[in-house]
Amino acid sequence: MRNEASGMFETLARELRTLFARGVTTPLGEDAFDEIALRVFRHQLAWNDVYRRFCAGRSATAGSVTSWRDIPAVPTTAFKHLRLVSAPGRTPQAVFRTSGTSRGSERRGEHVVPDVALYRAAALPGLAARVLPETVGRTDPGVEDRPGDGLRIPFLCLLPSPAEAPDSSLSAMAGFAVERWGDSSSGWFVDPASGLRAEAFGRALEVAAAGGRPVVVLGTAFSFVHWIDRGSAPVRLPDGSRVMETGGFKGRSRSVEKADLYGALDASLGVPPARIVNEYGMTELLSQFYEPVLGPPPMGGRAPAEPGTRWHVGPPWVRTRVLDSRTLEPVPRGEPGLLCHLDLANLGSVACVLTEDVGVEVGGGFRVTGRAEGAEPRGCSLAMEELVEAAGER
Amino acid sequence: MSADARIFDAWCAPGWSGVAASAGPGPAVRILRPARTRPDEPPDLALSALELDSARASALVGSLRAARPGLLARPALEIVRALGGVGRRFLDEGDPLRGEALEVMPGTTGLSPAMCRKVLDGMARDWTEERLEALLRAELPDPGALDGFVASPDPTERVRRRAMGASFAFHLSAGSVPGVSTTSLVRSLLVKSPLLLKPGRGDVALPVLFLRALAGVEPELARAAAVVYWPGGDDAFGAAEDTVLAEADLVVAYGGDRVVADLRRRVAPTTRLVAYHHRVSFAVLGRAALAGGVAASAASVARAVALFDRRGCVSPHAVFVESPGDGASEGFADALTDAFRSLESELPSGRMDDAEASAVQQLRGTLELRSAAGEEISVRSGTSSPWTVVVEPGGGLVPSCPGRMVRVVPVRELEEVPARVAGLGRHLQTVGHLGVEADRLGKLAESLARVGVLRMVPVAEVAFPPSWWRHDGRGPLEALVRWVELDAGPG
Repeated sequence: MRNEASGMFETLARELRTLFARGVTTPLGEDAFDEIALRVFRHQLAWNDVYRRFCAGRSATAGSVTSWRDIPAVPTTAFKHLRLVSAPGRTPQAVFRTSGTSRGSERRGEHVVPDVALYRAAALPGLAARVLPETVGRTDPGVEDRPGDGLRIPFLCLLPSPAEAPDSSLSAMAGFAVERWGDSSSGWFVDPASGLRAEAFGRALEVAAAGGRPVVVLGTAFSFVHWIDRGSAPVRLPDGSRVMETGGFKGRSRSVEKADLYGALDASLGVPPARIVNEYGMTELLSQFYEPVLGPPPMGGRAPAEPGTRWHVGPPWVRTRVLDSRTLEPVPRGEPGLLCHLDLANLGSVACVLTEDVGVEVGGGFRVTGRAEGAEPRGCSLAMEELVEAAGER
Repeated sequence: MSADARIFDAWCAPGWSGVAASAGPGPAVRILRPARTRPDEPPDLALSALELDSARASALVGSLRAARPGLLARPALEIVRALGGVGRRFLDEGDPLRGEALEVMPGTTGLSPAMCRKVLDGMARDWTEERLEALLRAELPDPGALDGFVASPDPTERVRRRAMGASFAFHLSAGSVPGVSTTSLVRSLLVKSPLLLKPGRGDVALPVLFLRALAGVEPELARAAAVVYWPGGDDAFGAAEDTVLAEADLVVAYGGDRVVADLRRRVAPTTRLVAYHHRVSFAVLGRAALAGGVAASAASVARAVALFDRRGCVSPHAVFVESPGDGASEGFADALTDAFRSLESELPSGRMDDAEASAVQQLRGTLELRSAAGEEISVRSGTSSPWTVVVEPGGGLVPSCPGRMVRVVPVRELEEVPARVAGLGRHLQTVGHLGVEADRLGKLAESLARVGVLRMVPVAEVAFPPSWWRHDGRGPLEALVRWVELDAGPG
C-alpha cells in the first residue's frame, strides 16, 4: 500500500516537474489545468485521510468533484494545528515553518514537504522569468541541473542561509536560486539570532558595485528597512541589478509605504523601482507570485514601474480565485474577497489553500488589498488575540 | 462613495456657538466613507464627522463646563423627568424619533433591522423616567444628595453627604453594542456632570438622536452635553483627543484592553478613569436542562449568543454542559443548530466585514480538519450565515471568532467549571445558568465569584441587565460621582 502510494506520488511529481520546466510564460489551458488538478486532488483524497474526511464533510468526493473550482480549500490556520501530508511512505525531506506573528504565544504553521525537488522545480521558473536579468539562465529555467549554463551572477541575500534556517521556505527558495545561478561572491547576510550582518552586507555591496555584473539582491521587506535605517553610505549597483523583496511588516519593524521603501532602496543601492519586484508567497504554498515588472509581460500586461498600482501573477500551474468571505463563492470580477490558491506544486500536502489575504482580480493576476487576520476586536467582547494573550499570562 | 449614499451627522453640540446643533454638514466637517456593503445588505450610510483640532476641542470643552452651574441648579428629579421624556420616545412605536432611530441603526451598526429593533427596545427600556428614578434610588439612595448635602438615614449620624459629579467628563464607547453610549450620556447628565461623548463607530446614531431631541425640549440641559464621533487612532484627531483628555476630571471608557491601556498611559494621575475593558461570558447548563426540553434550553442559549451578534460583554462564548458522557452534548449541539437556524429568520445576523468573515472561515475549516484528524471535536455551521456550534470536550473559553459562534463543552460536573475558567479571571463577567438547583447554584456561585465572575443570571436574562446592575462589579452611578462629606460639628 505504501509503495503504491509512493509510486503514484513519484509519477505525478515527475509529470509536474516536466510541466514546471516549460516555464511560467507558456500558458496552460483551462482543460489541461483541470485535468491535472483533478488528478492531484484525487491523489490527495486517496492518501491524505484527514483531507479526505474534511472534503467528505463538505460533500466533496472523488466522484462528486468534476471541476478544480469545487476542490475544498484548507485554511492556512490549519497548518498551525495539523500536519497535512499526501505522500505516505515518504520521509519528509523538509518541514517549513511560518515565521510566527508579533505575538510570541501563537503556534507556527508547518508545511511538510515530501519532495524538495518538486519545490525547486516550481520555484526556479518564476525566479527565472520575473527576477533574473535577461542574460542569466534564460535559456534554461528548467529543473535539470546543468552547472555552467549561462552567466552566473552575485546573489546577495538578506536572509539566513538554508543551513542556518532549515525551516524557512524562503531561504530554501533563495538557496535554489543561488545554487543554480549564483556566483562565488553570493552570500547570506542575516543571522537567525542576531539579525542583519550589516558590515558584511555593506562590503558585499561595494564589491558588487565594482564588479560590473548585474546583481540580484533578495530579502524581506523589514530586513531592507533595517538596512536603510542604518544610513550606510549609498552604493550604485551595476546597471541591470534588481531587488526582490517579500513579506509585509506583520507587527515587526515599522510599517513603510512601498513607494517610500523603493525610493529609499533606489537611493541606497542604485536600483530603481522599475527593477524592484515584490514576491508574494507563503510557507503553505510551494509556488510564488511576482509583480510582472520585469521579464516578458504576461497576458494581463506589464505592471507599472512605480509601486502602488501593481499586481501579482502566478505560474500557469496555480489558479487563484477571489472568494466571498461569507459564502466562499467567487465574487464578481473586480470585487474584493479572500484569496484562495490552487497550487499543483503542493502535491505532497494540500493543493487548495484559503488565505487570510483580501484582494481583487487584476489583469490575469490579483492585487492584495489587505490582510484579514488579526482584525481589531470590537468593543467590550473579548476576541481571539486577547484571549490568547490573557491565557498566556497565567 | 455612491451618489445616493445618505449622510448621518455623527455629532451634536447644542451648547457650542461655533457649530449649530442642527443637521447638515457645516464648513468644518469631513465625510467618512461608509464601509463597503454588499447588494443584499442595508444601504450605505456615510458619516459626517466634525473636524476638531486642539483649539476647537478646547472651546467645546469650555462651552460644556460653562453649562455646569445651570445643571447643578436643576433638581435631580427634574433632570430625570426631562431625560425620561426623551428616552421613552424611543419605545413609542408611533414616535418619529423611534422611526428615525430604527431607520439609521442598521446602516451604522451593522446589525440587522430586526436585531436593531430588539436592541433598541432592550436598551431604551432603561431611559424612561421610572427606570431612571429607580436607578437613582438604587444607588444613592436619596436623589437629593445630587442637589445638596443630605442627612444620613441613621439619625445618630452627624455627617451629611453630597454626591458630586465631575466638572467635565469624557466618555468613550466601543461601538459594539448600540445604546451603551446613550446610557452613558444619560447617566452623566443624571449626576450633573457635563460631558463630551465620543461614541464608537457602531454606536453613533442613538446618542446623537437622543441629544438632538433633548435640545429640542430642554436646551439648557442639552448644552451640558456634546456627542462627537471621530475615528479612533486617527492622527488627525490626536491633538483634539489629547486636549480633551487633559481637560477631563473623569474619563469613562468602554473598550478593548489595548484602548484602556493606552488611556491609562495618557491620563494624568489625578484624572479618574473608569474603564470597562474586555470581558468574556459563558453559560452553565445543569443536567436538568438536558433531561427535559432540550429544545427549549437550546433556544434560550442560542438567543443569548445571538443577541448583539455576540458582541456584548454579556454574550456567552461557551456553554458548559453537565453531560455524563452519553452523547447528550451532541444532542444539545444539534438542538442549538436548529435554534440558530430558526433565529436567522427571526433575528438575522448582521454584517461582517471581510476580516471577521475570514476569521470565521479560518476557524471553522481548522476545527473541521482537527475533527477529521481524530480530535474530539465536532463542528456544525450555517453555510453562509455566520453561526457555528462546536462541541469540544477539551475546550473552554478559548479563542473564538466573530459572529454567533459557541463552544459546547461537556463536563462531568459543573463544579469543574470554576477551575477551567480561572485563567481568564480578570476578564470574566456574566454566567448564564439553566437547570441548576438553587442550593447547588449558591455553592457554584461562590466558587465562580472567587475566580472573578461578576454576575450570574438565568440564561434568558443575560442580555439586558437592569440599569442599576453593578457593571463590572461597581454601581454605574457610584463610578461617576465622588461623595463629599460635611461634618458641621457637635451642637
